[in-house]
Amino acid sequence: MKCLRALLVAGELSARRGSFLKKDLLQFQRSSSLQNSRLLPVRSIQLSTVLGTSNFTVKNREKHDKESTNQSLMKTEDLFEATSIHEKTKATFQEAVDIFCKRDIHRKGHVDFIYAALRKMPEYGVEKDVNVYNKILDVFPKKVFIPQNIYQKMLKYYPRQQDCGVHVLEQMEHYGVMPNKETRSLLLEIFGDRSNPVRKYQRIMYWFPKFKHISPYQVPTPLPEDPIGLAKLSLQRIAADLNAKVTVHQIPHLEILDSEKVINHPHIVGIQSPDQQSLLASHNTEKPIFLEGPFRLWLKSKCVYYYVLRAEPSEENMVEVIDPERNFYYPMHLDIDLERDVLDDYEFDTDKVEEGPVFAMCMAGAENKATLAKWIVSLQETNPILHDIVVIFRLTHSTQELQSNEEIEEDNARAQAKFFKQEV
Amino acid sequence: MASSFMMLDSLFLLNKYRWQSSLYRTLADGYHSRWYSSYQKPGTSIGKISPWKNVDVNFKKGVEEIKTQCGLLKKEIVDFLKDINQNQLEDYMLNQTKVLWEFRNEQDLNKWVLSSDAEIGGKSEIYIKLHKNKQSAILYGNLNTTVPRDGVTKYSGYCAMVSKPEVIAFHRTKLYDWSNFNSLYLRVRGDGRPWMINISPNKYDSTRMKDVYNYFIFPRGGPYWEEIQVPFSKFFFSSQGRIQDGQYEIWPDRISTLGFTIADKVDGPFQLEIDFIGLLSDQAHTESFAYELYEKNLKK
Repeated sequence: MKCLRALLVAGELSARRGSFLKKDLLQFQRSSSLQNSRLLPVRSIQLSTVLGTSNFTVKNREKHDKESTNQSLMKTEDLFEATSIHEKTKATFQEAVDIFCKRDIHRKGHVDFIYAALRKMPEYGVEKDVNVYNKILDVFPKKVFIPQNIYQKMLKYYPRQQDCGVHVLEQMEHYGVMPNKETRSLLLEIFGDRSNPVRKYQRIMYWFPKFKHISPYQVPTPLPEDPIGLAKLSLQRIAADLNAKVTVHQIPHLEILDSEKVINHPHIVGIQSPDQQSLLASHNTEKPIFLEGPFRLWLKSKCVYYYVLRAEPSEENMVEVIDPERNFYYPMHLDIDLERDVLDDYEFDTDKVEEGPVFAMCMAGAENKATLAKWIVSLQETNPILHDIVVIFRLTHSTQELQSNEEIEEDNARAQAKFFKQEV
Repeated sequence: MASSFMMLDSLFLLNKYRWQSSLYRTLADGYHSRWYSSYQKPGTSIGKISPWKNVDVNFKKGVEEIKTQCGLLKKEIVDFLKDINQNQLEDYMLNQTKVLWEFRNEQDLNKWVLSSDAEIGGKSEIYIKLHKNKQSAILYGNLNTTVPRDGVTKYSGYCAMVSKPEVIAFHRTKLYDWSNFNSLYLRVRGDGRPWMINISPNKYDSTRMKDVYNYFIFPRGGPYWEEIQVPFSKFFFSSQGRIQDGQYEIWPDRISTLGFTIADKVDGPFQLEIDFIGLLSDQAHTESFAYELYEKNLKK
């Protein structure tokens, strides 16, 4: 046994070119186990040249070793709790990652730490930040997991670490975060070319740009904070007509009465296109029109509500036929088939859904009848025919499908509308 | 030991995919729910039932079953021969549009299967109903991204509607031939949330069980109906919910189902009104496949 030890020591001597201290040798001889990691040649762990944020030096190795032995029983989640007692921000998150990186040269338990960090990300609100993901990837020790020979390349080298790397990228994919050049160089430095995480990176970089602009109705990110700006944006989207004109009927303000009562006037934003205006002008005044809503509209993760002014479907709403004998010199109506070929027929053999015409749309800051009545009054300026038409309110408290005409609600609304008519 | 494991594995595979064998389905007595869904709840063990355990060897029954199947086959052949004279040639020569699914009565709703992440323990809900005016269907529900607490599932929150495959003689699924057309045509009214369209091709063997072609639609929202045209060339190939590296064109002559999925990671109610789903042969669209047909591992 002794001779084996001596051999090992000799081997170590040659390996480290006799540069180790006497202290180490003594310690080695004292220790009973042969597997003292400190004397075995450790593969050098290099820090990323890309980030280079952590000022870690090999000199204070022993000091850190002592610390790590003290903290070895600490849960990885606790690291985050310790740094963010008061607030959970990007800074405290990065601080926790920095503490972990400086704790131990071997980055012991880095896979568990990365999984914990990924889980904690939404709590800190950093789940859509590329730099934070890069910071997390930087926790991996560099150049250790790069396969060195053909057999390592053939098999999945360090599978647990590679899976962890793929997991980081998958979370980025889930939150729609585009990796950048820094991510690429980090992955190449950690796992090497053609490893699973690098492949995943390549796939993300291939497919993300392909689907980036496929939506014909792009929503700006971030959405405007101002409710009027948001209302304008969403009304222009649903109007489906570039000629439609947005009108701000009421700017939100507070009115203070003499009796020190404060009345809140919410915003009212409406939209009406010239076509809708002419439709409304030709509406039969004996038939009522309906104010329906609120209906949902999603702008990515934001839900807004809108109201619609419309009529019941009827024969009168159809396009009027021009008498062919009205003008003998030139045709009043041209029916030219502008399709692509003689035999082309792109009509589908179905009946279209019969629905009444839409006259105007609006979005309001408050969901009550008084606010919507104000909108109708404001609309009367541009549409004088509204003075003569009864407007019936069909408001649903729970937002349901378009035209879900609740009978009970309608009766209430009818009473309201009559009252409203008198008021006007 | 290793060989016994191999045996067990192959038995499991046999058990899993045996339903595809039409002969087996003719002989076996009733269907098992797991044959349709390969989802296995985390924590539960795989029930290793011998494939021969469920087989009820009954000669009389077998003969009766074969008789009914032959009747179905005869009907199928007669229908096919009739169809040649009437529709198919006309379809091929003249029709540039075709309506596949309409929503005009309750029977039309029965042609669809609804599913949500409630299957895997999630909390999303999806319903379908006919509009009051009996001219369209409303697909509505609530999406919830709460992850089921089973320790394995990472993401949750999806709702889907899939067309029921029509079963013909000897338990084969009827395939649609859409090769005369080059795009899908939908008349919908949404609420601004994006949907995914899934076209599932014919399952030739067990390796292609989870193959689907997908593309996205973005309904505008608002009170107006919208016509959306989705060319087949845009559909990309995915398997087991992952986009594949090797992309292939869709073969429109052997389509088994069409489906709609919503999974936009936003909690809240959703709604999609569908008037009809049709096919269009757009002569102006000449693109055959929108994605690069790369080789998977290129030699240097």
